[in-house]
Amino acid sequence: MNPLEAIGLVAALLAATTVLGLLWRARQGRVARVAGTMISAADVAATIPFGTAATLLQFSTELCARCPGTRRLLRTVADSRPGVVHVDVDLTRRADLANRYKISQTPTTLILDGAGRVCAHVGGVPNRADIVAALDDLGSAPRGSSPLVKSTATTLRSPHVAR
Amino acid sequence: MSRANSSTTASTPTRPLLDPRGPRFGAMITAVLLLVVLFLSLTGASTAALILLALITALFAWGTLAGAGRHPYGALFRKFVRPRLAAPSELEDAAPPTFAQGVGLAVTLVGMVLGLAGVPGAVGVAAAAAFVAAFLNAVFDYCLGCQIYLLLVRFGLLNRGAQVRDA
Repeated sequence: MNPLEAIGLVAALLAATTVLGLLWRARQGRVARVAGTMISAADVAATIPFGTAATLLQFSTELCARCPGTRRLLRTVADSRPGVVHVDVDLTRRADLANRYKISQTPTTLILDGAGRVCAHVGGVPNRADIVAALDDLGSAPRGSSPLVKSTATTLRSPHVAR
Repeated sequence: MSRANSSTTASTPTRPLLDPRGPRFGAMITAVLLLVVLFLSLTGASTAALILLALITALFAWGTLAGAGRHPYGALFRKFVRPRLAAPSELEDAAPPTFAQGVGLAVTLVGMVLGLAGVPGAVGVAAAAAFVAAFLNAVFDYCLGCQIYLLLVRFGLLNRGAQVRDA
């Protein structure tokens, strides 16, 4: 192959990879509303009860570059809203859960309503505003909007809060 | 309410932490070098392509064995790039980029062995495949290693069992 053709092929690979990357990035963090199944705390072996208003159910592995950041983000959002709980499930030891809920990338976050029904699916690193908007749609009010709720809010902290 | 990790959360408190931009900087250098390998192999400079691919393979091996935190490109990043950047907003675990180095090593090593065995096109195809992963990592922060790890988990190839740790 002459050098000009070779450069053309190299440029084509570069362009194709760039398009692939743009397509991938456009899908990351998108909140897809779904009318999903019910998930209980026992289903994912969570040690604390799910939220009475909503649950941010995150799926991670121990080898996931963006899972710790997502964990911090979702925890902060959950902390600011009464009745909202964040649960992070490590799929490394629970491959059955990855297959049952068809987790195709980590992190993946499912937004559950107060009854435990899956309302939204977020693949990749979530966007804070989109998560908040999804929770607003579920009717969970931000902390501080009601003095009564604020005064009764408690924080549950697992002894094994990771990283 | 809130704040809770389920009992199945991984706890890995003592792993080294990296500026996440370091591995991506290294991936960009690797991506450029892999494009050069592809160009050389396309133009018939097979020996030069094989030598450069061997060098890249050796660097992947270094990153895999010593860890992403001790990669030579990481040293370049710390010396020349990081002083010009703002402080990182967060640090990341070195394990995912180290695993990614292993994935790169596997792909380039196969290309190198097949190239040495005289399989036509092997060096170019391996370079192109590794380029896609390195470029996506460098430019879009895509983590192929994380994806492969999840697939290994789902296919039961990691065999960690269904142990549930009490919190």
